Amino acid sequence: MSSIHSIEQLLKLTAVACAAVAAAIILWYLVRRPPLGRLTKVLLLLGLGLLPVMVALTGNIAGYEYTLSRPFCGSCHVMGPYIRDSEDPQSQSLAAIHSRNHKFGEQSCYMCHADYQMFGAITTKMNGMKHLYYYITEYASTGPDGEGGPTIKLYKPFKNDKCMQCHSTAAKKYVETHSDQLEQIRSGDMLCIDCHSEVHPTALSRRPGAKKTEEKK
Amino acid sequence: MKHNQVKKLVFLSGIATLAALAMMVLSIVSPKPIYLVLAMSVGQGLGTMSLALYLLAIVLDLQGGAVSGAAYETSLETTQESSDEDKHAK
Repeated sequence: MSSIHSIEQLLKLTAVACAAVAAAIILWYLVRRPPLGRLTKVLLLLGLGLLPVMVALTGNIAGYEYTLSRPFCGSCHVMGPYIRDSEDPQSQSLAAIHSRNHKFGEQSCYMCHADYQMFGAITTKMNGMKHLYYYITEYASTGPDGEGGPTIKLYKPFKNDKCMQCHSTAAKKYVETHSDQLEQIRSGDMLCIDCHSEVHPTALSRRPGAKKTEEKK
Repeated sequence: MKHNQVKKLVFLSGIATLAALAMMVLSIVSPKPIYLVLAMSVGQGLGTMSLALYLLAIVLDLQGGAVSGAAYETSLETTQESSDEDKHAK
């Protein structure tokens, strides 16, 4: 039997165990139909109330944690090229380099694409719902990598704030190497990806609707 | 009548909870986007509704109990009064 390696796994196990006990209590009631005495009521309160609430709570947290992971982003087939590139140990794209970082590599998609304001997590998940809507309405029956669907593009330009969450523009090394463009970068007049453009280069050529000429873009 | 209603409500609540649990467990075992969205919306909605149904059933049951308790007390009083009247008549 495999052991528990993370809090997410523990939460999942708790949720499944609570669901199993709740289902057992409910099935016992539905099959046996005992009179609604005090004990039956308490048991049913457990099976219909407390345990399902536990399942929902632990399941929500575990589900939310999972939605941050790269496999979750890759679970839609249109993301295949992006995920394959990110997981390629030979790839030198920014996505792959960030994905190899042992501190957050497993959540590399979320770390770079999430909003970071006060309600960043909520707006990011709202965008995720938009992804799901477009996936179902426009990409559901396209090719293995969604080639038959429309071109995938970001909802809004990739701003410097997202890079600056980790890469401080005040760090000595950064100031030394970016001295000419420092003010432009800080003000947002110049984007990080204007120069560091190899973000998803191999993925771009294979994305749905992409032309071969976009490969080096 | 009320007893049947209570039983029906608990039965419905049980079925709805089983469906909600199935959705939530499916999203945990196979965390695909559509399953997660279903579990967090329809699944939890069903779960909340079934708990509300169960609580309603308990309230109805308690009311029924209170009514039948009051009826029992009234019948006891009536029996006692009639036995007193019998005694007086004798």
